[in-house]
Amino acid sequence: MSSFSGLSTALSSLIAQRQALEVAGQNIANANTKGYTRQRVDMQSVQALSAPSMFSAQVGAGNGVKVTGVTRVADLFLDARLRSATGTASYTANRADALARLETTLTEPADTGLAATLQAFWAAWQDVGNNPNDPAARKVLIGAADNAVKQIADGYRAVETQWIQARTEADTLVTDVNTTAQSVAHLNEQIRSILVSGGSANELMDERDRLITTLSGLVGAQARYRDDGTVDVMVGGNALVRGVVAHPIEAQGSHVMGIATATPGGPDAVRLVWSGTGAPVTLDGGRLSSVLESLAPEADGGHLAQAAARYDAIATALATKVNEVHGTAVRPGPDGTEVPGGDFFAFDAGKPAALGLRVAVTADLVAVGAPGGGPFDGTMADAISRLADAEGGPDALWRDFVVDLGVRARSAERRAQVTEAARSTAETLQLSSASVDLDEETINMLAFQRAYEGAARVMTAIDEMLDVLINRTGVVGR
Amino acid sequence: MISRVTHQTVQRSTLANLQLNLSKMSDLQGRVSGGKVITKPSDDPAGTASSMRLRGDLRVTEQYARNAADGIGWLTTVDSSLQASITALRQARNLVVQGASSGTGNEVTRNAIATELEGLRDALLEQANSSYLGRPVFAGTTDGGAAYRVEVAPDGTRSYVWQGHDAGSVQRRIGPETQVRADSPGNAVFGDDAAGVETVFAMLDRIAAELRAGGEIGPRLDEIDARMNTMLGELASVGTRYKQLETGQQAMAKATADLKGQISAIEDIDLAEMLVELQAQEVAYQAALGATARVLQPSLLDFLR
Repeated sequence: MSSFSGLSTALSSLIAQRQALEVAGQNIANANTKGYTRQRVDMQSVQALSAPSMFSAQVGAGNGVKVTGVTRVADLFLDARLRSATGTASYTANRADALARLETTLTEPADTGLAATLQAFWAAWQDVGNNPNDPAARKVLIGAADNAVKQIADGYRAVETQWIQARTEADTLVTDVNTTAQSVAHLNEQIRSILVSGGSANELMDERDRLITTLSGLVGAQARYRDDGTVDVMVGGNALVRGVVAHPIEAQGSHVMGIATATPGGPDAVRLVWSGTGAPVTLDGGRLSSVLESLAPEADGGHLAQAAARYDAIATALATKVNEVHGTAVRPGPDGTEVPGGDFFAFDAGKPAALGLRVAVTADLVAVGAPGGGPFDGTMADAISRLADAEGGPDALWRDFVVDLGVRARSAERRAQVTEAARSTAETLQLSSASVDLDEETINMLAFQRAYEGAARVMTAIDEMLDVLINRTGVVGR
Repeated sequence: MISRVTHQTVQRSTLANLQLNLSKMSDLQGRVSGGKVITKPSDDPAGTASSMRLRGDLRVTEQYARNAADGIGWLTTVDSSLQASITALRQARNLVVQGASSGTGNEVTRNAIATELEGLRDALLEQANSSYLGRPVFAGTTDGGAAYRVEVAPDGTRSYVWQGHDAGSVQRRIGPETQVRADSPGNAVFGDDAAGVETVFAMLDRIAAELRAGGEIGPRLDEIDARMNTMLGELASVGTRYKQLETGQQAMAKATADLKGQISAIEDIDLAEMLVELQAQEVAYQAALGATARVLQPSLLDFLR
């Protein structure tokens, strides 16, 4: 062991402690950076030279310390758990949000909802039945019928608007997914080349993990880490990103609700495919999955298509039930004759029932009398107003729809709360391992500082020893 | 798993808790200021179902009350017309008694009685033609404007044709299963010459003619009594129906109040309960703020030189 080796031991410590202090500085600097994972300097003691030779029998101290690398303190399993929870939570949150939005268009229970409008319509029939000769009552009836027709059409249009918004959202989200996947692929490439040359790519990895978590929220993506430092991003078992290549996806199908929801599984139905192969993409969760579900045809459980169909059913039920009775009713014709009432409601051809419904008669053509009952008979008006309680009538259909949607919105909301709690827990766990603790870093700073001071003192001590040896040796007796 | 606690996790969980407390408070505040427990169906789907049904019932009940009020208007008119008719008929009976007892006596007296009878006939006809809101109450569904049309034959005989329709009656619905007849069948009460049932007016005409001709009119008293009994029977029936409407009206007023109470119980907030809850939530929020101030303040740096 040479006389000067102690100096280099102290020097190695000075260098190592300074580097460690710099990493602590980096941690503190990024204490509030989103997605930053704390880093640690890995130090290793350097062992003494022990060449197995005849004269190397001496026992000596090691040769100081060396920095072997800067490690990201990331936990793959906590990351994976966070991603899976994020995928589910985004899916349920979006679903709850979509149902809540649809629910607000119902305006029930209130005095302004469709239920109240229908009730007013039925009541107006009673008034006409009481006074068939009163033109005012007839005008009120026609007004009430117009109101009901408009409200059904408005409800249908609100559903349609939501569908169109969701369709645009699907396109936007697909673009988001593709750009993010592309970025992940780029990062993979950069990280791989840095790692190959022995460098540290910790900050790029942070960025990549953040992007993958974003993808989890969008399409429920999962990450698969490979030995060369790259990450494969999997969606439903297929690779969205493999190594340095991103496979884009696209949303196909019509942008018109009526066309897209007409035939389940048809060519116009909205679906997600891989751009390269055209094979369908299966999603495990994520916001896009929920958006696509709400765009689905009624048979596939699309809640918007269901709502639109329900409005159509209500319009049809209203027209059928009223026409059935109104057709048998009569109104006075000239010279004491009786004219059959005909249809009260009619449908415009080529439109959905909810939009095509209209009142087919004018106020003076409303028929309320039973045949042979006299010009001012109101029996049939009473019969029509009694349709309010009819089984399968518009009121019953509407009530069922409102309650059913309420139940679904409520359970979706509950589920969203639960999954959000799970996501929040996973995030807290992930952060508790990855985030920077200022107290801890302060302690580390102290430790490194003290070690630095110690190493400097060692250096001084050796220097003083050498001073004795070099400058004062051989001057005995002088 | 004992997790590592860092400044960031503390900060985040504190923020999340504050957010949760604040959102609960704003939710409560919204309910208190809005006054409603159910603002959308998902707040309480079962409650929404009941509420919609009750609102429907309320609307129907209000309509039944309107129907009942209208029916009472009709029956009041029918009632007063029948009473006036009975009075007129009673006077006619007195005259017939008078005419019968004076026998074949003074022609001037007989003529005077006959003229008076014709006057009573006109009064009766007017009562039979009385209307409510432009519709004759004794010929419910006609558009003729009057219940009886007078036809004068070339030989001067007058006949009275009922304008109503046998199949048509004026009904007022006051319950899901209850309809009350609001008019009175004129052909049953006064008769209809066109249908071969001599009207009370034609009968009086006949008696007057017999009186002028000096005939014996004593037997006619029975005919008049029979008519009077018919009218009294109808009057009783009208009274029963009137009572039915009135009872219905009272029941509906009560039902309306009950339904409103039930709707309010389902939809509206319990103010006292809500305010207490709001107060509790406020305390929780303040506690969370206080805890935040204590947890986020200290740092090791404060204690190192």
